[in-house]
Amino acid sequence: MSERIVAVAKRLSPVLYEIPVTAREGMRVPARVFADEALWQRLAADRSLEQLVNVATLPGVVGHVLAMPDVHEGYGFPVGGVAAMRIRDGVVSPGGVGYDINCGVRLLASELEATAVQDRIETVVHDLSRSIPSGPHANRALSLERDELDRVLEEGVPYLVERGLATPDDLAHTEAGGALPGADAGAVSARAKDRGHDQLGTIGSGNHFVEVQVVDEVFDETAAQAYGLREGQLTVLIHTGSRGLGHQVCTDYVRELDRVMPRYGITLPDRQLACAPLSAPEGKRYLGAMAAAANFAWSNRQAITHAARRVFDRAFGPQGTLRLVYDVAHNIAKLERHQDTEVCVHRKGATRAFGPSHPETPAAYRSVGQPVLIPGSMGTTSYVLAGQDAAYEASFGSCCHGAGRAMSRGAAKRTRSGSEVRRELQARGIVVRCSSNEELAEEAPYAYKDVEEVVSVVHQAGLAKKVARLRPLGVIKG
Amino acid sequence: MIAGHEVLDHTGEIGLRVWAPTLEELFAEAGRALREIELPVVSPVYPTRTRTVAVRASDRPALLVEWLNELIYLAERDRWVATEFGTGVVNETEARFEVTGVEIPTAPSEVKAATLHNLRLQPLDGGWEAEVILDV
Repeated sequence: MSERIVAVAKRLSPVLYEIPVTAREGMRVPARVFADEALWQRLAADRSLEQLVNVATLPGVVGHVLAMPDVHEGYGFPVGGVAAMRIRDGVVSPGGVGYDINCGVRLLASELEATAVQDRIETVVHDLSRSIPSGPHANRALSLERDELDRVLEEGVPYLVERGLATPDDLAHTEAGGALPGADAGAVSARAKDRGHDQLGTIGSGNHFVEVQVVDEVFDETAAQAYGLREGQLTVLIHTGSRGLGHQVCTDYVRELDRVMPRYGITLPDRQLACAPLSAPEGKRYLGAMAAAANFAWSNRQAITHAARRVFDRAFGPQGTLRLVYDVAHNIAKLERHQDTEVCVHRKGATRAFGPSHPETPAAYRSVGQPVLIPGSMGTTSYVLAGQDAAYEASFGSCCHGAGRAMSRGAAKRTRSGSEVRRELQARGIVVRCSSNEELAEEAPYAYKDVEEVVSVVHQAGLAKKVARLRPLGVIKG
Repeated sequence: MIAGHEVLDHTGEIGLRVWAPTLEELFAEAGRALREIELPVVSPVYPTRTRTVAVRASDRPALLVEWLNELIYLAERDRWVATEFGTGVVNETEARFEVTGVEIPTAPSEVKAATLHNLRLQPLDGGWEAEVILDV
């Protein structure tokens, strides 16, 4: 079917394609794909486009459904997809957020020159790997009593300020201040709490990682200055989400909404798109549970930040102070106002990219736009971009989220072994801490699209502009 | 037909195709396939424990997803990975098995959930075949 979609699509610009509303039965809006010709040609190879046009059939969808240049096949929604639904008559779909609710990225910057501390990087990476539990089900970083967990779920990072794990400055530099309104711990099942109560401050597995990096190149001096970034500076990037708690929230609500959909007369091309009206009790409960899981994820990245700060303090003293540049979510549904309409924007593998004029852009960054953090695949470069006002109209204020997988895990493992990948990273001067060779092979850099190509498309499309490139010196992987 | 399974290539996640002569054997085989992903090597020194695992769902394909999600949940919460599937009953909306699993000291490989995406469970050549996508 993807070939047929490619055949009817029109190229609107060198980096934008449109799939007409006639591409499949039941589409309510057209679909748009941000891609250059090379990326576009490769899209027919999997089911990304088929999944994208399926999303365009959901009730209340407005404008266009969008795919970012890093899009790849997911389950239900494609990964790298954006869809906005009218609050009045639209739906919310847990599959449009994904199992890892508020998977996201945060960037911390030190005042250290990487070259000045080169001989201490290995020790620091080792200390980080001991201080931040990683691996699939690494637990017990910060075990919470049930009432404390409920406060994390409902209050988010502001609760951690009270606990001494965050500062007010951290809140000002976290999307949504680290707390989505409307979070309801009562809508989160006991099972989800069982999975999450001892996982705060842990990385998890898959493509999640903590990296020690250096600012490799600055493209936009003004924006870099606003973000407090300069070439040669030592930074830390954290990529993780809501762990087992978020996974279970998604499982619980896909099941519940799959069951209640007939009541609302909704039929779908794919069961995993299970959804409920935003105005229905089930839709509202999911939003409350999702917000709680999102708060857990922000708190998780904050707890990891706290651990990283202690490591840097031990290693470098006051000069090693880690300032939070920004924290962005890339799997989330948010209630926003776009083109005079109240909508629920689903960002599944897509990052918010608000420009200078948006009131939610932090005060310190109002002159340049919010930082957009694009992690590369493990061991490759990552990017800092600045959100642009043009994204507001073009993509509901959204942009890409990473490199995007290009190769299945099986194919990656067949290409090279984990120990070969480890040796290659080490040969490039990158300190690697990962207990599983299999995970290393699955997440090898060649299994992903080229992050530079992806970033170049969103830059050309005017969604976000390139500010700086970050190069890894050390990787801690689950 | 002898029960079996294979891993299907999927860009982001893992797909499973499972086949067996009976529904009960298909559910057991799906459990074994999940075990291979979560715990590729089962050490003989791991202690074992047998428990009853039961799930309900609105229809048969969803029941298979519920079954896998229950095993994923138990592996994460209890660090108990199902390895052997004893007596079991599967009907349209309910599955119940006596399951022996190993208690593991460290974490199994992370599987977030079984999904409803492109889910298929149908009779085939006098037996049953299913396809399910796992989020990993």
